[in-house]
This record gives sequence, C-alpha cells and structure tokens, in this order.
Amino acid sequence: AATAPGKKITARLKRTLPVRGPQAPTLSELMRWYCLNTNTHGCRRIVVSRGRLRRLLWILLTLSAVGLILWQCAELLMNYYSASVSVTVQFQKLPFPAVTICNINPYKYSAMKEYLSELDKETKKALETFYGFSEGKSKVRRSVDEWNSTGSDFFQQIPLLKVEDFSRTATDLHSGQKRKIEGSVFHKDSSIVNSGDSNDIIGFQLCDANNSSECALYTFSSGVNAIQEWYKLHYMNIMAQIPLETKEKLSYSADDLLLTCFFDGLSCDKRHFTRFHHPLHGNCYTFNSGENGTILSTSTGGSEYGLQVVLYIDEADYNPFLVTSTGAKIIVHDQNEYPFIEDIGTEIETAAATSIGMHFTRSRKLSKPYSDCTETGADIPVENLYNKSYSLQICLHSCFQKAMVDSCGCAQYAQPLPAGAEYCNYKKNPNWMYCYYRLHEKFVKEQLGCQQICKDACSFKEWALTTSIAQWPSTVSEDWMLRVLSWDKGQKLNKKLNKTDLANLMVFYKDLNERFISENPANTLVILLSNFGGQLGLWMSCSVVCVIEIVEVFFIDSLSIVMRRQWQKAKKWWNGRKRAGPGKPPQAGDVERQGHDNPVCIDEDLPTFNTALRLPLPQDSPLPRTPPPNYSTLRLETAFTEQLPDTLELGRH
Amino acid sequence: MNLKKYLVRALHRLQKGPGYTYKELLVWYCDNTNTHGPKRIIKEGPKKKLIWFFLTLLFASLVFWQWGILINTYLSYNVTSSLSIGFKTMKFPAVTVCNANPFKYSEVKHLLKELDRLIEAALERILQPTPGNVSENVSPPLNLQLWNQIPLVLIDEHNKDNPVILDIFETNQTAGGNETAGDDQNSTCPCPQCSHQGSNNCTYRNFTSAAQAVTEWYILQSTSILSKVPLHERIRMGYQAEDMILACLYGAEPCNYKNFTQIYHPDHGNCYIFNWGMDEEALNSSNPGAEFGLKLILDISQQDYIPYLSSAAGARLMLHQQKSFPFLKDQGIYAMAGTETSIGVLVDELERMGYPYSDCTMNGSDVPVKNLYSQYNTSYSIQACLRSCFQNHMVEICGCGHYMFPLPKGVNYCNNEDNPGWAYCYSSLRSSITQRQICIDSCKETCNDTQYKMTISMADWPSEASEDWIFHILSYERDMSTNVTLDRNGIIKLNIYFQEYNYRTISESAATTIVWLLSSLGGQFGFWMGGSVLCLIEFGEIIIDSLWITIINVISWCKGLKQKRARYPDAPPTVSELVEAHTNLGFQHEAMGALPRDEALPPEPGTPPPNYDSLRVQPLDVLSPDSDVE
Repeated sequence: AATAPGKKITARLKRTLPVRGPQAPTLSELMRWYCLNTNTHGCRRIVVSRGRLRRLLWILLTLSAVGLILWQCAELLMNYYSASVSVTVQFQKLPFPAVTICNINPYKYSAMKEYLSELDKETKKALETFYGFSEGKSKVRRSVDEWNSTGSDFFQQIPLLKVEDFSRTATDLHSGQKRKIEGSVFHKDSSIVNSGDSNDIIGFQLCDANNSSECALYTFSSGVNAIQEWYKLHYMNIMAQIPLETKEKLSYSADDLLLTCFFDGLSCDKRHFTRFHHPLHGNCYTFNSGENGTILSTSTGGSEYGLQVVLYIDEADYNPFLVTSTGAKIIVHDQNEYPFIEDIGTEIETAAATSIGMHFTRSRKLSKPYSDCTETGADIPVENLYNKSYSLQICLHSCFQKAMVDSCGCAQYAQPLPAGAEYCNYKKNPNWMYCYYRLHEKFVKEQLGCQQICKDACSFKEWALTTSIAQWPSTVSEDWMLRVLSWDKGQKLNKKLNKTDLANLMVFYKDLNERFISENPANTLVILLSNFGGQLGLWMSCSVVCVIEIVEVFFIDSLSIVMRRQWQKAKKWWNGRKRAGPGKPPQAGDVERQGHDNPVCIDEDLPTFNTALRLPLPQDSPLPRTPPPNYSTLRLETAFTEQLPDTLELGRH
Repeated sequence: MNLKKYLVRALHRLQKGPGYTYKELLVWYCDNTNTHGPKRIIKEGPKKKLIWFFLTLLFASLVFWQWGILINTYLSYNVTSSLSIGFKTMKFPAVTVCNANPFKYSEVKHLLKELDRLIEAALERILQPTPGNVSENVSPPLNLQLWNQIPLVLIDEHNKDNPVILDIFETNQTAGGNETAGDDQNSTCPCPQCSHQGSNNCTYRNFTSAAQAVTEWYILQSTSILSKVPLHERIRMGYQAEDMILACLYGAEPCNYKNFTQIYHPDHGNCYIFNWGMDEEALNSSNPGAEFGLKLILDISQQDYIPYLSSAAGARLMLHQQKSFPFLKDQGIYAMAGTETSIGVLVDELERMGYPYSDCTMNGSDVPVKNLYSQYNTSYSIQACLRSCFQNHMVEICGCGHYMFPLPKGVNYCNNEDNPGWAYCYSSLRSSITQRQICIDSCKETCNDTQYKMTISMADWPSEASEDWIFHILSYERDMSTNVTLDRNGIIKLNIYFQEYNYRTISESAATTIVWLLSSLGGQFGFWMGGSVLCLIEFGEIIIDSLWITIINVISWCKGLKQKRARYPDAPPTVSELVEAHTNLGFQHEAMGALPRDEALPPEPGTPPPNYDSLRVQPLDVLSPDSDVE
C-alpha cells in the first residue's frame, strides 16, 4: 500500500515525460516513439495495430499514401508554370491607329528619267531581242542607235541571258554570242520541268567578282519575272547611289498624293500627315503618327467618324518596269511600330471607294518561364536598326542586314543602314549582287540563324481589317465630282482628273469594343502551397510541421543516435584495450543497453525522465564511491522493476 | 426558480473547463489541440520549445497572410476563358441589303429641284470664280432662301491675319472675324452655320476640299427637306424589293423578295432583311460552303442615284444577329456593281459572365439610356444605346430630333423652317467631346458579343460571254419586257455562306468559386499547420474558456476587495485558493489534500534531498487533477 503513490507517480511521469527523440536509446525505439507521437496519421496505426497482417496492411497503406503525395505534388510542381488565357472586352474611347499610305509607284517616272534612261533602254532592247516587242518603230530605232554610242560596261556585267538548257549554252543579249555556262543553276521559279522548250528560259548570271569561276545562273520560267527581277536588281544599284534628300524630292509630295482628307467629321490636311521615306515605296505619308505628341482618338464608330481620304494616283507617271499594278498601299499600325508596307500592306484600287472597317485586339503573353517571348527586345543579340519598338519583323530584317554587312561589306538597299555601313552599289562593291543572292538564299533556308535568334514580342496590337469596295464616283456623280476635285487640286494641275487617277479610302472603327487577350499565370505560389496542403492533408493529415518532424527525427535524431553508438563502441573498445588484463570481457547484451547505462551519453538538455532516474547510478564505475543517500527516488527504481517493461533493464541492480 | 437552477447548473458546467488559470488552459490546449505546432511547444525541451514557439507563430502568420491573399483573389472575381472552334449547325445570320443611295432620283426630283439648281449654280461660280461670265443664261431666279440659312463661302487666306470671306452668290467681300481656323491653303470652302438669333453666333466649318464642303452642305440641306416628308412617302420613294432583289436562293430552296423584311433606314432608304427572325423561325445552316448559303442577285440601278448625295455606288450589306437592328454605317460593307462578291462567314462569339465578373449588360434593362430602337422590336446593342443617347441629348438641347435616328415620343424631326438653328446646334453637339463621353460612360456593352468575321473575295460578274443572256433573262423576269433594262453598273451578285469552321466561341467561367476558396483556405491551413475548421472551433473554445477565467478572476477580485474591507485581520485568500474552493466540493483546503500524500511517503532521511529534477515533477500531480482517474 505504501508503494502505491510511487507507482502512480511513475506512471504519471511516464505519461508526461515520454522518451524523446534524441534520448531514445536505439533507432527502433526512436521510430516507435516517432510513430506514437507524430502528427501524421497512419504511422500511429502501424505501431498500435496488433497482428502481423494488420500491421503490414497499415505499412502498405501509409507507404502508398506517401507515394501518392509525392506523385501529386510533383504533378502540381510541373504544372506550376502554366498560363490561362483571359479575354476581356472593353467599350471605350479608342486611340486611332497610325495609317500609312504610299503610292505603289515609288518615284515619279518623269523625274527619274535622267537616272533610269540607260536602264530602260537596256530593258527595251532586251524585250525586243528576246520577244520582238517594240513600243513603236521610231522609238526603238532611236534607242538602238543610241545604244551603240553609250554602251556601259555596267550592264554588260550582268546581262540577261537566254539559256538553252540542254546544251548548257547561253545567248548573250548584246554580243549574241553563245557561251558555255559554268557553275550552278538556280531556278527562281522551279517549273523548269514544264518548259521543255529550252528557248523559253531566260535568266541572268551572277558571278563572284574575285573568283570568276564561281557563278550562279538564275533562271525564270517566265520572262515577266525575269525582266522584273533583273530590272529591280539594277534599279536598286542606281537608287543606292542617290542621296536621301534627292530621293525625297523625286517622290510624291503630300500635296501630290492627298486630295481631300476628313477625320472624325472634321476636315484635315497635309499637316496631319508625317512623311516617311520607304526605300521601295518612296515617300509614304503617315496619318496620326503621334510625332507631335498627340494621338488622335475616336469616340464614335462608323465610317463617318473615321479617316476619309481621296488619293491622287498619277497613273501616267508610273514606272512601267518596276511596278505593274496601279493604286496605293496602306497599312494600319501602332504609332510605335514600323510600317512594313512591302510585307503586309493592303492595296487600294483606283476608281473605287475602299472602306476598311477595323476591329481592335490587344494581346499580351507572359514572358520568360511561361513562354519564349521578349518584352522589349533588349535581350535579343540583334541590334534594332529601325527607330521603332521591337517586333519580329524588325529583328529578322536587322539580322539579315547585319549578316549582309558582315559578309558582303555593304548594306542592302531596302533596309536601314547600320552604323558605319553604306548601301551597296556596283561601283564600290562589284561583288555585292552575287553575295546578296547567296545570302538571301541562306536566309530563306534558315541557315543564317536569324529565325532562331529572333523571338516574338510579348505584347502586340492588332487591327483586324474588313475591306470592301464600292464603285466611286458613281456614274451620275462622276461629272461634278471630278470637276470639283480638279478645282481642289488647284492651279498646279492643268488637266482634268480622270477617275482612274483617284482612289477613295475610308478607315474607321466598326465598333469601339477593344478585345484584350491576356495570359495570366494559372498558379500563384499561394495556390500551389494550398494545393500541396490539400494533398498532404488529404492523404496523411500532414503539414509543414510534420515535414519538419520527419527531418528532425529521420535525419537529426537518427544521426545523433548512430553517432552516439559509434562513439560508445569506440570508447568501449578503447576501455577494453586499456583494461585488457584485469577487466572482464564486455557483456554481449551490453551494446543494446549502453544508451541507458552510460552516463556519458546523457544529453546537455535538461534532465528528463530517463536521465533523471539513472543519474545517481554509477554502478559500473570501477572507482569506489560513497554509498548513495537513501533518496526516495532510488526507491522508485524498485517500483519500476515489475511494472514497467521498458525500464526493466534497471532491475539488474 | 427552475430557470435559475438551470442557469446555475449551466454555469457550473461551463466552469468545468480545462483549467482554472491561463497557464493551465494554455498547456491543456497545446497538449490536446489537433493543430500541429502547439503540441511540440510543450513537449520539447526549453531550447526546442523556443524554436517551436517561433515556428508555430511564423506558420500561423503565414496562414493568415495567405488567407488574405486568397480571399482577395476570390473577391476580384476573375474569370477563365475557354475557346472552342469548329463547325456546327448554326442559325444563318440575318442579312440586310440596302442600296447605297436612299431614294430614286426620279421620285425625289421634285423635292430637290430647287436645291440642285442652287448647287449647280454654286459649282459654276466656284469653278469659274470670275463674276459676270456666268450670268448670261440664268433663266429662272434662284430661290435664295435655302442659301441664306447656310451659305457656302470661300475663304481666301493669303493674308493670314485678315482672311477674306467671299460669299459665292454675292460679290461684296467682307473681312471676316477670327472664327476661321488658320489654314495656309490658298482657298478653302467652308460652310458657315449661324444660329438664328443673330450673326454674332456664327461658326465656319472649314473644309480643305470643295468636294467635301459641297457634299456636307448638300446632306444638311437635303435632310432638312426630306425630314418633312412623311414616312410612308419616303418608303415609296425608295427602292422597292421587287425592283432590287432579282433572284434569291437559299441552299437548294428558292426564295424571293417576299422572304425579306422591309425596314426603313435613314441613311440608305429601304433596306431588306433576310432571315431576321422576327415573325418566323430563324433558318439554320448545317453545311459549309457556297452551295449551302444564300445567293442573291441585286440591281442597284445606278442611273437613278441622287448625284450630290452619295458618290459611292454599290449595295450596302451587313450580317447581324437575329432581332438586332442593322447599323450599316458602322458595320456594313460595300458590294461593287458588276462583280460577284463571295462572303465566307465565321461566327465569333464571346459569352461573358455578368456582374460582378465583368461590367456588361445582359439585355440593356439596367442601362440608364432610353433605347429608341426598341420601337423596331430589336434587342439592345451598344450602337443602339449610343445613338439613342445622342438623340435624347439632341432633343433636350435643340428641341427636335435628328433625321438619322428614331424619334422619341412627341418630338419632330428637325427642319430649317421650324428649327432654323438646328444645323448649328447639331454640329456643335456632334463635335462636343463631353457629350460623347457621357454617352460612352452611360452605355454598357452586351455580355454576349457576336461578330461575323467575313472573308470577302470578288470576281467580275457576269462574264462577257454570259452577259447577254443573263441580262436578258433578269430584265424579262423583272419587267416582263424583252428589252434589256439592266446593265453592268447596276447588277450585283452575292454569295454568303459559312466557312469550314463556322464558329469560334470564347466563353467565360468563374475562375474562383466558393468551393475553390474553401479548398484553398483548407489547403493553406493544412499545409502549414495541419489544421481544419475543427481546430478553429477548438481555438474559439479556448477563447471562451479564457473569458470565463477572466470573469472568475474579476469576480474573485471583487469579492476579495469586499472581504478585505469586511475582515481585514484575516489574510485574504489567494485567487487559486478561491478557485480551489470553488472546485473542491468538500471545500478542503489545499494543505489537507496534500497532507495524506506526504504521509504516504516513507520517512525522510536526515539529509536534505538533492535538487533533482525528478522531484520537481511532484507539483504536476497537483496541477493536473484529471490524472487521478486510475
């Protein structure tokens, strides 16, 4: 009866002061302790369950739950960088885009005469020799006469050739001599198989000036293509030598091009247009370019409130070889964008009213981890030659131009000049055409690497156009319309306008709905963590605390136990060697119990249940000691012997 | 009495909380809660205790912070969009066809006779500015009344500071004020508009081009004249369906002008709508391609155009939804005469969620603008709202309605006789930016936005070889005569059909629902602390308990105060004593309870006990009264 309170106390002690992680004597005990005390579910079942089958079942369940958690969390992590698309429509006042208008013909033919007369003569001669075409007997005769006097070796370098395919001989335009062709043959139009008649094939030969054996022959199935391509080649040569100011003068002025202008119900004039010189299209005029700092906006949709322009297209002054279609080209673009009019322009017909309804869409992609696009283009190793914001087109053209300057030593005419370079012309760079054609071919075949370097822009604006055409002026209004427009044109023009010289253009917003398509991160960190939490909680009721527990128990505590035991082993072995003679051999079962018995291993932590019980028991000490005082605590041990199996080892004493 | 008894019992029950001091309570809570952190705090040694305390605190604050973010996300009402593209059987769009010219010139000639003579004379003067040369063959005197209300003038701005204003019909030159905008064109042709009160209130509308000035002027004058003509008369003057629609084929089924609904459009006169769905069911199209679409042959008879009103010739057409009003000026396209125009259609739909996800309206009932187009039985659209808004403003400010828009009840259209200043009022209202902004702000877009994306292509039609017989047959069918009454300038062929993929639907759904919110909240709480709603309830319970403890403390403190005053000599009982007294029904003092236990221990040896930790466990026995159960 007297020992009952002691038992009670010990039982209570045992409850309140359980074995703690690092104090656990062995790994298996640590695991047991962990399983009993962990916050995760499942583990406890393993320890508590009775029966081998049930225990096995619980082990399997717990393991599969762990597996599921790992799998699901991995899935969550992999899907972290995914984007969701959202489309918003906003009805608001919209900024009017910049509208760039060009005449299809770049320069006034009459003004260009002095530069192009030789080339034209050459072209006419080619037409006559190969196709028997002549504009009028007298003209041709005169030009032929002139030819003999002013024969330029420049044109003889790259003459048009008539190729007799099977014999691989070519007839020269001038000499009429037949000569053998060396080098490779390139077919611009790859329909060579169809044209069985070798007389049909016409082309020109480009040779490496430094190494005349390297030649490339460009052939075309149709003479139309051949003549145009050949003409353009020489034309670019000539234009490259003319300074920019002169070219601007040779092209159309704003007064020439724009007859009337009307925007948002108000009259406008050439001051609303900014000139922009395009190498292939001459002077173009940009409406609402934002150059003076203000960007016009529209607050009403519909054709009345957009831009209405009547353009004067002087068809009689067209270059007959360079351009073969009549009209104007327009492009709708953002103020910061460069108008690539030759690539994506819309053509406007003469003698017609072209109404272009716009629909505005803005798109935005997510950059780096989500998709491979660039925000500003600053991270792309290609210098932006255009003075405008980055776009894929700008990058590709700049990249090509850079490659051109690097390999040919001069810049291509259609694109802006890089710093320190100048445009190619035949006088300074006799080799450039061959080089250009070679390079262009490489570019098209994606061998220059430009397509790999250049990335999409992340955000872009798009104006979807709906184009429709009506007859203009109508037959009944034609008469007065032309008269009044002729009067408008004023004193400069002394002829009556013809309706094929005019084009009416309306550009307007169909509605003021702006569609904004944006990508958003589908997951934020918060959502990822809550998904983790959901998974952990669902399968095992686990949390970060459990993770920390696991780290603590499985790594720190286990390690400390292993270390301790190694240390004790070493120590024991050392002691055993020291006391080899007199000492008794170490007991077999001791290894297991050393954690309890060795006072050395006691933690620096505050004394706990085990340590507190064992502290005053230096039984194994070889040194004689004073007998221990008869403390009540000592008596507790005896009380433990029968009842507590896990402290049984104390009973030895 | 019963109630009091019950309350006392309830009080006692509630007091049987987990402890009687804050510390006890806290320890009990930490030991027994299902939340993961707190248990560690009390179960570890002092160093780890501290670490765990801060960890728990950190995790709790993390949980709350992230909950805040989640709730914010939920309240921002994001949407996710899903896109679907494909072909399905869809309602064929309503097709509105009009002539670009509103009235037959032969029918309105008598109304516009004066105006036309005036403008012809004016054009003569403009084109030959030397006065005197033209005056030979002026047969009937011109009616200058129309002219005097809104005259056309020439402004010579060679001298910038002192522009010369030259009325076309009067030779006296007046030095103008500063009303004109500066322009370095040598001649401009503005039309001034004066409000009728006096010549002080004048503005000149400048045009850089005479052609534009003349057209604008003519439109102003003619709308004023035509607005006086009653509606049925105007419909009669326009193009009739049987004259305009020569042939119609929908899929394999023939249709004719009777399948079209007539509607009067102020800009384009009589318009005809196919498949409007007002009275009959809308037609479905279940096949892509031109063979299964609508084929129309129209005649716009260009010879009968009003010469000064519309300079562009062609048919105006528009695809729109059933039961919606066609706003041809905004969304219409032209079809050129003498061509075959093929239009491939893709229906681009956007279905949005209403409030609070986005600010759009389902049927326009919540828009503060009275929809004037509801008289056509048409559904709400943003264009209808903007126009109604403008017309309402116009009626409010100018006192009459504009001819281009429907009238509110009890208001008339503006004309020069009844409202002499209307043109001035109208143009100032039209160019007013604040008015537009008000309308933009008050109108909302519709939640379901349907657009018809068109791929337009054209070819010459009829071909030269087939021209003769086609014209012959069509003329014969329309006019029952063997004479060819049609020509290339008037005839239009239209093919309207669905493309291979005929719909692209973007539909929205809520990105964050309440279920999402709850699972995310649970996920966060679970992730950091392994908690659930039950843990929150536990926490609430502890708070209630601690409140109880506070109440008990306060009560005992008050009692103590009283007792202190009453029996001062006695040492006042401590709080714990009082609590003990409260719980121990036998009112045993602490010492009495402790004494037998001391007796149970074996007699003490003489030496004082060492200060071992094990000894310190003894108070635990007292602290945890529930451990005595065994």
